[in-house]
Amino acid sequence: MKDVSPNHGGVISAGVSRQRNYKSLPSLRPAPDQILTLALVGNPNAGKTTLFNALTGLRAKTANFPGTTYEQKIGRAQFDGREIVIIDLPGLYSLESAAPEEKLASDTLHGRLPGRSKPDAALVILDATNLERNLFLASQVLELDLPVIVALNMMDMALNDGIHIDIDRMRTELSCPVVPISARTGKGLADLRREITRLAEPAKVTDLPAVIRDKPDCGMGCGGCPFQARYEWTEALSGKVSNVAAARRSQRTEKLDEILTQPAIGLVVFAGVMLSLFTLIFWAAKIPMDLINRLFEVMGGGINALVPAGDLQSLLVDGVVGGLGGVLVFLPQICILFFVLSLLEDTGYMARAALVTDKLMRRLGLPGKAFVPLLSAHACAIPAIMSARIIENWRDRLVTILVTPLMSCSARIPIYAMVTALLFPHSPFKAAMLFAGAYATGIIFAMAVALVLRRTILPGGSQPLVIELPPYRLPGWRTALLHTFDRAKIFVQQAGTVILVISLVLWTLSHYPKSAAPERAVALTTQAAQLDKSGQTTQAEQMRVAADRLTAQSSLEHSYAGRIGHVLEPAIRPLGFDWQIGIGILSSFAAREAVVSTLSIVYGLGESGEDHPNSLYDTLQHAVRSDGTAVFTTATCASLLVFYILAAQCLSTSAVVRRETRSLKWPIFQIVYMTGLAYFAALVVFQVVSRFVQ
Amino acid sequence: MVPDSAHSTEIPLHRLQPGQCAVVRRVDSDGDEVQRLKMLGVCVGRRVEVVRAGDPLIIRIFSSRIGISASLASQVWLELCTPGHCAMKTPS
Repeated sequence: MKDVSPNHGGVISAGVSRQRNYKSLPSLRPAPDQILTLALVGNPNAGKTTLFNALTGLRAKTANFPGTTYEQKIGRAQFDGREIVIIDLPGLYSLESAAPEEKLASDTLHGRLPGRSKPDAALVILDATNLERNLFLASQVLELDLPVIVALNMMDMALNDGIHIDIDRMRTELSCPVVPISARTGKGLADLRREITRLAEPAKVTDLPAVIRDKPDCGMGCGGCPFQARYEWTEALSGKVSNVAAARRSQRTEKLDEILTQPAIGLVVFAGVMLSLFTLIFWAAKIPMDLINRLFEVMGGGINALVPAGDLQSLLVDGVVGGLGGVLVFLPQICILFFVLSLLEDTGYMARAALVTDKLMRRLGLPGKAFVPLLSAHACAIPAIMSARIIENWRDRLVTILVTPLMSCSARIPIYAMVTALLFPHSPFKAAMLFAGAYATGIIFAMAVALVLRRTILPGGSQPLVIELPPYRLPGWRTALLHTFDRAKIFVQQAGTVILVISLVLWTLSHYPKSAAPERAVALTTQAAQLDKSGQTTQAEQMRVAADRLTAQSSLEHSYAGRIGHVLEPAIRPLGFDWQIGIGILSSFAAREAVVSTLSIVYGLGESGEDHPNSLYDTLQHAVRSDGTAVFTTATCASLLVFYILAAQCLSTSAVVRRETRSLKWPIFQIVYMTGLAYFAALVVFQVVSRFVQ
Repeated sequence: MVPDSAHSTEIPLHRLQPGQCAVVRRVDSDGDEVQRLKMLGVCVGRRVEVVRAGDPLIIRIFSSRIGISASLASQVWLELCTPGHCAMKTPS
């Protein structure tokens, strides 16, 4: 809190000195064609995002604050043919907040951001049902040298609560335009637009409103509570302009909170809500995921038909289409996740969830809010790490980000499925238990790592909880949809770029250098040609397929990837892995699930192995080493499973960690610790299991 | 600003019973999270009420509800309102 503005006391006199007609507010006088920049500022939960979306719609762009990775949304709108730029600032309670994101909001309003001029005006959004607190921020914004418009949001809710607000009185008290609106229903927005355009009109009166500074500075130095004076003013003003004290508010929130914040019942409800969310993610996403898979198959097929067989075809189909398909297939899950989380946030439930989980999470050295990224990570670590932003404290956020990828994401499911099928092909119950065990292992390791981090490099407990519990409200679909769209875009850009590059690198590694087709394949092809001549086309076709498999297997073995697999073998031999699995691990850097298709090629099942999982599992079960021993023994399977639960293999995740932590140090640390953990855990599992189970 | 009789009746926020009403007299510590608490209105002179005791506890301030860790609440000292005496009305 170094950055305390020097006029805490100033606002006290505001009520008196601002007794002037707001019509004398100076209009900005930009040339008629000049763009007006409006900063949208308000408390969290005041409906800022809803208003922003209502004013700008889909024309909003997400950009970073200069020099940071914090996002801000900038929207353009045309009101009466005039171009207006609206900057959506992070929600905040006070301009003096220490939280980095909130400080950026305050810096923007003060014009302190490098390379960014002060906005032309501020649009302050207030929650009409909570004037006493919302006016606190408004009073601070009114002291800046900026024209201000106050949008009094949630007027419909206020009316329901029996709150009546004297708008005219408020205008005179604040000496600025006050527009009652309901951002969700759109009521009053036309008036608000009109008021905004008025700002841009050529001025009729030119004097700036005196910024009230006639009280001596009373920052932190005066001994008193700097917040006290301001809050006394807001309470007095709320009393003057509304009947807050007498209003009979709806008891709905109180009644719901009696259940939802009850420590035990609250946790049960939380578990139920999250379980439903995951059911939705995994079941509802299935159809669109299948569709995406099919779409990419069709695209691959199309390229196969258009481009002659050869390197270019393989590059396009396996490298580009395959790589992108591998990422985009998770898009439905991510969209559902963000959509539901946004709806939950909008209802006010998320704050309660953070409250009831706080005590549990605190024991791990994590804040209650960490449940959002940790649970989301079961779909995909990338959106989960992005969602860690809701944690205000930087160290708390960092610990959360560091352990988040240990959670079992969807990309691990194909591997879990493969291993469980190999270990328990005939016992669905045991397979299900193993599956659950894999998830539990990820969670337990995440908790353990969080505890260790809190005792070593990021010492201390998590920051104590302070969270506003907003009234329960019906969620806004539009806001949730736009939010989802926004997040999905970031996912596609971030993950897509990284995956594309890695897929291309891996494609090159696994296709070069070229090797001649193995003798057996040549022999099979020759035989097939002969059979063709004698009319036995079906048999010929089968032989050709077999020849293709052998060629693919051999070319992969002799490629750079194969050589890397051989180089890796001594290191991974103690884990029970051979060079083929080594190639699989290498290919997992594009996407974990790629290991399944790689193993399918490397063990000679061909690329169709993926479409026939049962034949793949059969092949793998019967795969033998050169000495005749089985590859996928119980010990190797268990070791492979543990390795895939814990290893950092998703470079898209690392890219997002880098983006969110603004350093290379943390993603590298994460890769090293996770891979080290995976290696040693797999080593222990293999060595122990191979002693007891043959 | 603190009335003479106040010191004897000051209790920390986490000891306030649900339904009891009290006024904040002082807030110890100046850490980031306490600042946040103050921003939300838990500062000297404001009236608070506990909605749910425990850790974390829920308080009502103005017309909003805030969840707070008990460790933070223990740094907020209050004067109880008693029948016939509203701590809010003590002259400041």
